[in-house]
Parts: sequence; C-alpha cells; structure tokens
Amino acid sequence: MAKGLYDKAIHAVRYFLLRRLPTCKQMAPVMSESLERRLTLRERAALKLHLWVCVWCVWYLENLRTMREALRARGAREEGAADVDSAVKLSDEARERIRRALAR
Amino acid sequence: MATSQVASTNPAADPSLWLERHGDYLYRYALFRLRDGSAAEDAVQETLLAALQAYRDFAGRGSERTWLTGILKHKIVDHFRRASRQKPASQLGEESFEHPELFRDEGQWVEHWRPERAPVDWKADPARLCEQTEFWEVFRECLSPLPERVASAFLLREVDGLDSAEICEVFQITTNNLWVMLHRARAHLRRCLELNWFRPGLLKR
Repeated sequence: MAKGLYDKAIHAVRYFLLRRLPTCKQMAPVMSESLERRLTLRERAALKLHLWVCVWCVWYLENLRTMREALRARGAREEGAADVDSAVKLSDEARERIRRALAR
Repeated sequence: MATSQVASTNPAADPSLWLERHGDYLYRYALFRLRDGSAAEDAVQETLLAALQAYRDFAGRGSERTWLTGILKHKIVDHFRRASRQKPASQLGEESFEHPELFRDEGQWVEHWRPERAPVDWKADPARLCEQTEFWEVFRECLSPLPERVASAFLLREVDGLDSAEICEVFQITTNNLWVMLHRARAHLRRCLELNWFRPGLLKR
C-alpha cells in the first residue's frame, strides 16, 4: 500500500518536472555543449532533472558520447600510426603523379 | 661519419621509400578528414614535398611515419583555412540537420521526442566500432550531406581533439557558432547512424 503511494508520488513528480522543465528539443543543444564546456549551475541542474525523468534523452547523450569515443579511438589509432580502413589506397595514377613531383 | 651514423641507427629514414611505405597510410588519414579524393592526394604530395625539404631537421629522430603525419596534419588544417576563406559559409537550411521532425509539433508534449522516433539504447562498444570497416563506410555516408565546414569542424574536434580556440581560428567563427555547428553535426550523425547502423530494421518509419 505504502509502496503504491510512493510510486504514485514519484510518477506525479516526474510528470510535473517533464511539464515544467525545458523540452527535449531545448535540451539537445545543451547536451552537445556539455561535451564542450562546463555547463552553468542552472544548466547542470536542469539537465540532471531532465535526465532523471526522460530516458530518451539519457540515450541521446549516451549516443553522443559513443560517437565521440569511437572517433577519438580512431584518431588515437592513427596517431599511433596503425592502419585503419586498409582497403583504401592511393590510385596508381596519383602515386605516379606524386612520384614525378618528388623527383623534380 | 655523422651521416652514416644516422643512416645506421635509423635505416628507415630514406625519402625515396616514403611514398611506398607511407603513401597509402597518409592518403587514408587525409581522405577521412578531407572527404575528397583529389584534395587528399594533393595533401599527400604537399606533405612529402615539404618533408623532403625539412629532411635534415628530422635526421632520424623518432618514427618516420609520426613525423610525416605531423606535417600532413598542418597541410589538412591549411586546406580548411584556405577553403573557408575562399567561400564564406551560407547558413541556409542548416537547421534541418537538427531534425525537428523527431519532436512532436503540437499538443501537451510539444517539443518532446516522438516515441516512435526517439533515441534508442545503442548498446555499442566504441572500441569495437572503431575496428569495423563497414561502420566507417556508413559513417562517411552519414557525414556527406553536412555542409563542408560543419563536417570539417566536427572531425577536427572529435577525431583530432583540437580545442575550440584553434578550430574557431581556422574557420574564422565565434565559439557560439562552433557550438551550434557541432550540435548540428552530432544531431544529424546520431540520427543517421541510428537508422543505418544501429537499427536498420526501423528505417521505414
């Protein structure tokens, strides 16, 4: 019984927050900027509350982080001179052209 | 004596072998960032020519490939700088990359995600993604509709980890411009990858 009441209260709070907080569309640029700079206290609070009630935005932010990490991983591999995408090669014509330019 | 020592401690430092040993690697590196085959070929050529001239400075210190990559990096940034000076960016239609159609446009939940188009849990491991050639093919295609400047700024930021000040200087933009561009690039790529890589089954929606 108490459990049921508690759930109802949580639900009401979440509903209230979702209605009052900035919308998902407004949060999207903020989530992107959270990867670029330290958000203001106000922005951090709004984002935290929004993420508490909106799992879609949790995934949105998570997706952005996954993209960043995959790209950073690629950058790091190339930095370490490892081959990525080794199927891509200079064409014979380009190779020949560069060879001639270097010989000049 | 000094010369032969260099040659013997670092037998790799031989300009005549650069193209053969590192040509494809440098080309791939440039192509991913410039997204244009002939611009990438030019960057490789410029890099090797510059390397030839600066050869004595290198003198076998460190890895030859790392040294060449360092030169290539500058050539790529130079390319972006030239390009942004030559054609000033137009802002027309760039908002469409924020995909407003993913949000409800009316009712009580206006501007919240449409449930059937909302983000999903990718359950992805970035390290594994990085190793999948097919992922990078899809990524390249998703990147292609973005305005050149937006895609270039995004790659400099995410792949090479340049800081905002450097990127703003290259493209002659303000930090706020940059944040808007990065947001658009991310919003578009996220949606495109979700449809075409993470859950192709939902393409029809």
